[in-house]
Amino acid sequence: MDCHQCHQNHGSCGSKRSLRWLPFSENLTRPPIEPGGPQIALVGMPNVGKSVLFHALTDTYVTVSNYPGTTVEVTRGAVTLGDRAVSVIDTPGMYSLLPISEEERVARDLLISESFGAIVHVLDAKNLGRMLSLTAQLLEAELPVIVAVNMMDEAQRWGLTIDREALVAKLGVPVVLMAAARNRGVDQLREALADRLASTSVPAVAAVG
Amino acid sequence: MSIKIRYLAPIEAAITQIEIWWRSGWGQDFVDRHLSPRSFALLLLQKDPNLWEQLPGNRQQDLEQLIATTQAQISRPISLEIAQARQEFAQAIEQTTLAEPNPNQRHWGEKIHKLTVNPISGFPILVLVLYWGVYKFVGEFGAGELVDRIETFFEEQINPVVNHVTEQAIPWPSLQDLFAHEYGIITLGIRYATAIVLPVVATYFLMFSLLEDSGYLPRLSLMLDRLFKAIGLSGRAVIPIVLGLGCDTMATIVTRTLETKRERLIATFLLSLAIPCAAQWGVILGLLAQRPAALVTWAGLIVGIFLLAGFCIDKFLPGSAAQFYIELPPLRLPKIRNVITKTWVRMKWYFWEVLPLFIWASAIIWVGRLTGVFDWLISGIEPIALALGLPKETAPILLYGFFRRDYGAAGLFDLQQGGQLTGDQLLISAVVLTLFLPCIAQLQMIIKERGVKTAVLMVSFIFPFALAVGYVLNWGLNLFQISL
Repeated sequence: MDCHQCHQNHGSCGSKRSLRWLPFSENLTRPPIEPGGPQIALVGMPNVGKSVLFHALTDTYVTVSNYPGTTVEVTRGAVTLGDRAVSVIDTPGMYSLLPISEEERVARDLLISESFGAIVHVLDAKNLGRMLSLTAQLLEAELPVIVAVNMMDEAQRWGLTIDREALVAKLGVPVVLMAAARNRGVDQLREALADRLASTSVPAVAAVG
Repeated sequence: MSIKIRYLAPIEAAITQIEIWWRSGWGQDFVDRHLSPRSFALLLLQKDPNLWEQLPGNRQQDLEQLIATTQAQISRPISLEIAQARQEFAQAIEQTTLAEPNPNQRHWGEKIHKLTVNPISGFPILVLVLYWGVYKFVGEFGAGELVDRIETFFEEQINPVVNHVTEQAIPWPSLQDLFAHEYGIITLGIRYATAIVLPVVATYFLMFSLLEDSGYLPRLSLMLDRLFKAIGLSGRAVIPIVLGLGCDTMATIVTRTLETKRERLIATFLLSLAIPCAAQWGVILGLLAQRPAALVTWAGLIVGIFLLAGFCIDKFLPGSAAQFYIELPPLRLPKIRNVITKTWVRMKWYFWEVLPLFIWASAIIWVGRLTGVFDWLISGIEPIALALGLPKETAPILLYGFFRRDYGAAGLFDLQQGGQLTGDQLLISAVVLTLFLPCIAQLQMIIKERGVKTAVLMVSFIFPFALAVGYVLNWGLNLFQISL
C-alpha cells in the first residue's frame, strides 16, 4: 500500500495526488513487468465489469461500482501469465470508437496511440446484442481482440444461454465466458491471453503503406 | 480477421477511396496509427474531430468533398447508416448465439425497477432510503451513538493522558500546545479525524456502497432527471451530482463523463455550492438530529438553493440542455464482501487523506497562535460571525470551514456538545458551511478539470454567497422571531 506515503509527503507525489479516488492504482506487483513487453487493455461499454475483472486479474483494487462511468482514468496493473508479468490497463467505458464524452476519448486515444499484445473486450452477457457492435469496430480496426462475455451468472439467472462455439465461429476470435465477480472464467481468460501473446509476440501493427 | 461488416455501397466506395489516399501518404499524417486504415476511414467519414484536426487543410477539403458526394447518394446521415449496419451485424450474431428459453425470470427485477423510476412511487422510496439509510443509520447511529462513544473515550482516556505526558515531558507551555491542550495535534487534530469524522464517514460509505451496488443510484438519477428537466436543468448532470453525495472531489472528476463543456461547468458549480459530501451530511445530521425543525429548514434551504442556482445558471449560460442517456445496470442484491471491501477502501483512503490535513491544520493553528496571525484573522472574522448572529466562538470554525467543510463541521459539533449554540445558530452555521467548498482537494480538482480562471470565479462567488445566505437567514429568523 505504497500510496499511503503519498499522503504523508505531499510534494513528491505530484500528479498522483489528484487521482486519489482510485487509491491503490500504483500497487507493487510481485514479478517485474518486462520493459517493452506486450501490454493488455481491458475495454468495453460502461458498467460491464472491467474494473472487477481488472481486480481479479491483477489483485489491484480499483473502485468498482454498479454505476456507469465510475472509472474515468486509465489504471495500470500487472497480470501474471505463467512465469511472466504483463502490464494490464483498465480503461473507462466507451460505447464506440467514435468518442462522445471526454472519458470515452481517454479509452479511444489509448487504443490509437499505444500498441497492445491483446485487447480484452468485456461484454455484459445479458446485453450481447447491444455490445457486439463495439466488438465489430474493434475487429474492423484489426486489433488483437479477445472477447470476454462477463456476468454469465446473472445471464443464467435470467435463463439466458450463450453458445460459445458459435460466437467463436462468427467473430473469428477467442471467446471466454465468465463471471469475474465470482472469479469464474478468470483462469480461462489468462490462458487465452497467454495463447494470444504467444502468437502475437511481435506486437500487432496496423498495415500501413 | 474473418468477419467484415458490409456497409452501403456508397459508403464502401468512400472507404476504398480513403484507403487509397491512406496508402498514398495520408497515413504519415497520423503519428499514432494502431488501427487499420479501414477503421480510420470510417472514423474520418464520421468526421472524428481529433483525427480531423491532424489532417492538413487541403486534405480536409478533399475529405469534405468525398463526404458530401457520399452523403448525396444515401438518404440518411452517414454515421447513422454506419451505426445501423453495425447494429444489424450485432443483432444477427446475438440471434444465433443466445437463447432465452424462459423469459419470465427477469420479471421481479423489472417490477422493482418500475417502482424506483416512477416519481409517484420513486419519491416515497427515496424518502424511505433517506430516512432509514441517512437519517437513522448515518445521523443517529454514526454521528450520534458512535461519535459519542469515541469522543467520550478520547476526552476521558486519551486527552488527559496526553496533556499530562506533554506537560511532564516538555517544559515550555507554548510547545506543549502543539501536541496537547485545546488545539493540539493529538487532542484536536487526531481527535477530530478519528472521533468525529471517521465514524460518520464509515457509516455513510457503508450505506452509499450498498445503494451503489444494488443499482439504485442510476435509477435515482433517471427519476430525478425527469424532475430536473421540468425546471430547466440539464438532465445528465444528475449523475455526478448523485455521486457527489458521497464525495464531491470524486464527483468533480466524474463530470468528465458529461458531453458538453456547459454541462461540465454547471455540474461542477452545483457540486461546489450545494451538494454536501459524506462527511458534511453526517456531521450536520448529527448536529441537527435533535432539532427536526432546524434539520428540515436546512434541507429545504439547500435544496432550494440548489434548484435556484441550477435554474439561474441554466438560463444564464449560453447553449441548450443536452440529451440525457444513462446505461441502466440491473438491480442486484449487493454482495456483502464487495460492499465491505469498498467501504473499507474508501474509508482508508478518506482517513489517510484527512489525517495529515487535520494534523497540518493543528500545526498551522499553533504557528498562527504563536505569531498572533491566528488571533488577527479571528478578530477579522468575528464581526462576520456576529453579523450572522453567531457567537464569536464560531469565528475559528468559519476559518477552518474555508479550508475544509468537514473540519469546520467537526468543530461545530464540538461547540454544540458544549451546549454553546442555539438552534438558530446551529442552523445558520450548518447552512453556511454546507455552501462553502468542501475541501482543498475539490478545489484542486476544479482547477485541474475546469482551469484556474473558472475556479477563481467560482470561489469568489461561493464564499460571499454562503455568507450572504447566512446573513439573510439570520435576519429572517430574527424578523419573524423564529427560534428553532
